[in-house]
Amino acid sequence: MGNVAHLLGRKLITACAMALLLSVVVFIVLRMIPSDPLAMMLPPSATQADIDIVRKELGLDGSIFQQYVVWLGHALQGDLGRSIFFRESVVSLLLTALPPTLELVLVSLVMALLISIPGGVLLYKLERRRGEMLADFVLVFLLSVPSFLWGIILIVVFGVIFPILPFMGRLDPEFSVNAITGFALIDTVLQGEWRAWLDAFSHLILPAFALALSFSPIIVRVLRSSLLDTATAQYVNVARLRGQSEWRVLVHHMFKNAALPTLTLIGVQFGFLFGGTLLIEVIFSFPGIGNLMVQAIKNFDLPLIQGVALVFCLMVLVVNFCIDGLYAVLDPRLRTS
Amino acid sequence: MTTTTMKYAGARSGLARLCSHPKVVIGGVMVLIFLLVALLAPWLAPNDPNAQDLLATLLPPAWSEGGLAQYPLGTDALGRCVLSRLIFGSRIALLVAVVAATGTMLLGTVLAILAGYLRGWFDRSISFIVMLWMAFPPVVFSMMLMVGLGTGVSNVILAVILVDWTRFYRVVRAEVLVARQREYVHAARLLGFSHLRIMLREVLPGVAPIVITLFSLEMGVAIVVEAILSFVGLSVPSNVVAWGVMLADGRDQIYQAGWNLMAPVVGIVFAVLAFNLLSDGLRVVLDPRLRKRGSE
Repeated sequence: MGNVAHLLGRKLITACAMALLLSVVVFIVLRMIPSDPLAMMLPPSATQADIDIVRKELGLDGSIFQQYVVWLGHALQGDLGRSIFFRESVVSLLLTALPPTLELVLVSLVMALLISIPGGVLLYKLERRRGEMLADFVLVFLLSVPSFLWGIILIVVFGVIFPILPFMGRLDPEFSVNAITGFALIDTVLQGEWRAWLDAFSHLILPAFALALSFSPIIVRVLRSSLLDTATAQYVNVARLRGQSEWRVLVHHMFKNAALPTLTLIGVQFGFLFGGTLLIEVIFSFPGIGNLMVQAIKNFDLPLIQGVALVFCLMVLVVNFCIDGLYAVLDPRLRTS
Repeated sequence: MTTTTMKYAGARSGLARLCSHPKVVIGGVMVLIFLLVALLAPWLAPNDPNAQDLLATLLPPAWSEGGLAQYPLGTDALGRCVLSRLIFGSRIALLVAVVAATGTMLLGTVLAILAGYLRGWFDRSISFIVMLWMAFPPVVFSMMLMVGLGTGVSNVILAVILVDWTRFYRVVRAEVLVARQREYVHAARLLGFSHLRIMLREVLPGVAPIVITLFSLEMGVAIVVEAILSFVGLSVPSNVVAWGVMLADGRDQIYQAGWNLMAPVVGIVFAVLAFNLLSDGLRVVLDPRLRKRGSE
């Protein structure tokens, strides 16, 4: 197990270095801004002295390098500045908005797996049979619809034409649930509000399904091709020769190995899933970090844009690190070599 | 057989091979339709896409009750013809798709060939940047760039190029690493050809099929990114028609006029599906390894 710890330690150091460099990239990109953010937040009557005071307050004085050093110093102490628009600390805004997004992403990941594991097996079973062509076309079609369009389609179908599911916000206003963890599905359980739990869950179904619909065809593709790869492996043939049924071979022998490339892909594509929440949250008026980002962009709220962009990157880094860890646990070959 | 007839036979079998795959045919026809609609928009559209008819707002499509033949797909909240806007919206989509995908292809492929062929510090530093880029969710990165660069179609194109070149880089570099080990590349080197010549004449043709495949795919991606950015209001000015703008406008009247939303949805999905089908088909048709498997 020492090997794994060593490997993960190295990955952790890389991840930290990357987080630092990513913050530099975010910082530089946002300093290219063509207009002066101060001009937008101050009244036209502000004097030069006023402007200078606010500029200093926001950390926008000095060279980019000086600004970055000051910003980094604060950031390492957990202070990402104050939002210009909301007049609140960026960190506290992020902490309220992050749990809803995580909840949405996790629910949609579960949904995506529930769709794509049977989907991948189905496509593998259809290989070189009638119906393969049709299934393939359906797959390309599903790959061609981005998640925010699924969101709109789902809203029109299940929200407007057949109004069976809610599509605005996170919880019906008739329920009030105190934020303990920030996760609506957990908080409602902790407070024994079962009807509120059901309501929170029904609010999650459409946005999570929209994300899952665009994420699962990607998983299906990889799962099918890795199943096809393992199908020719010797141990699979041996299992067949021993007279095991096709399903038993599939479940007991092929699946674990086919799962590894799929897991890697989920890690690589996680940024895609995370990025998808941005528009989905806007479309469903869901109070997560994606919505926060779009509001920040509409108001040229630089400190907030910077904070949210960084959190998105950090999430991707954290997920990739976790996948690496999971990989090391699942794949014994990594432990010995 | 003379060389000309052989050449002719080769070209014909090439075209026949291209058309042998249903995805190439269907995708190709769809791309053609998309191109024609975008190019012929002023002649195809029944109305001026920006003309407001405030006496006829939120009309349903012509075939349903209350619709007017003058507005085949109905009108939006300002009484503008939905069909005309759908048709004119394809122009921005096509512009962004072609220019952004070309830029992405050039930047990604050039860097990939240089890095994969020369290796060394250049390869290491570019690959490191790619690793950094991968940590950004693409949508977040492109929106951030739009804030930094300012709104406008040309900046949308620039943002797509700056975000998506890594797609080309990763795939093409891997192909270059294989290609540079081939015997004909070693032979070219022994003959004393310059590195530039080897990269252009020996390596580039080897990676061309995958580049073409990715190019078609990237056109679809660019269309989606443009739609997202104009949906959020970061792309085109208000007098330009774009599918994302139509989505944003239609969202406010979702209860009264759901069809206003479905038109741009259909437009975007049609265009993206066209390029994805073409790309998928080309991948199979252009890959000599997959081709051989098929003919055996």
